[in-house]
Amino acid sequence: MIKFITLIFVVLVGCAHAHPVIYKGGWVYQGSFMPQMNEMNVSYTFHPKWSVVMNSNRFEMVDEYQDVTLGVNTLLKRWLQNDSQGNMYFGAHIGQYEDNNGDGQVNHAFLMGDWENREKYVLFKTKKYFYDGKETQDYLGRYGFAPFVAGMNRLQAWAILQVYYYEEQSREAMVTPMLRFFYKNVLWEMGSSTKGDSFLTLMIHY
Amino acid sequence: MKKFLFIIMLLPTLAFAEKVVVEVPGMVCQMCVYGMKENFSSAVNDAEKDVVVDLEKKTVTLNLKKKITDDEIKKRVTDAGYNAKKITWIKSE
Repeated sequence: MIKFITLIFVVLVGCAHAHPVIYKGGWVYQGSFMPQMNEMNVSYTFHPKWSVVMNSNRFEMVDEYQDVTLGVNTLLKRWLQNDSQGNMYFGAHIGQYEDNNGDGQVNHAFLMGDWENREKYVLFKTKKYFYDGKETQDYLGRYGFAPFVAGMNRLQAWAILQVYYYEEQSREAMVTPMLRFFYKNVLWEMGSSTKGDSFLTLMIHY
Repeated sequence: MKKFLFIIMLLPTLAFAEKVVVEVPGMVCQMCVYGMKENFSSAVNDAEKDVVVDLEKKTVTLNLKKKITDDEIKKRVTDAGYNAKKITWIKSE
């Protein structure tokens, strides 16, 4: 059943980590894909600081694990300087998982912080998974820079280095250089890990 | 004479066009400020043309189809995830 829901989810949206809360009334369709892992989100921001989200994860690095959850995300704090902004988010989700050992209830909780100006971008996110009587945790870090600064309605490009570590699924950190592009309300990222795994993220704000 | 009267009648309609410049600190990426166009879409005729975001100057320029209050502007900027620092009204002729 979870596989079926995940498949529907992939077909409908396709993707990953981006903005857990956007503007009031805004939808985010987002997904990140690698051969051995996916993360997908569909969220609706109903208040400038709150959103509801449907989230799905798939890992196939050690166990074949996948889940589908529903939850809420909140913007804990936004720091607005004239030429930069920083954000701190928290989210909690509840749903169902399935892996090689069985299935059952899973809960997620994540904390995410980012800071960016028009030339630099950093992000840190850690997410806990509570399932099958155990707690696991992953870590994601990003640093990016823009080789040029584009105005509104122009294609903007970023070069980003991403490091991801999830002890439950891999003993090694996954390092992925990538290029990010956005144009108006569409964002896409393409890259390849240092081990040769391709990476793709798609995100639409609507 | 009829043409003259028609133009006179149109003048009040044209006078409704109001332009306002809102200073909004922290606008750094066009995707993040997409909500600005969405949140002001009902106050303008065409959000693409009438809501102009300048990421360099940190301003949002609105060509409003009807007068709205400063508080309403501040609320819509807040709904977009930002804070309005200064609101400057520019009367169009």
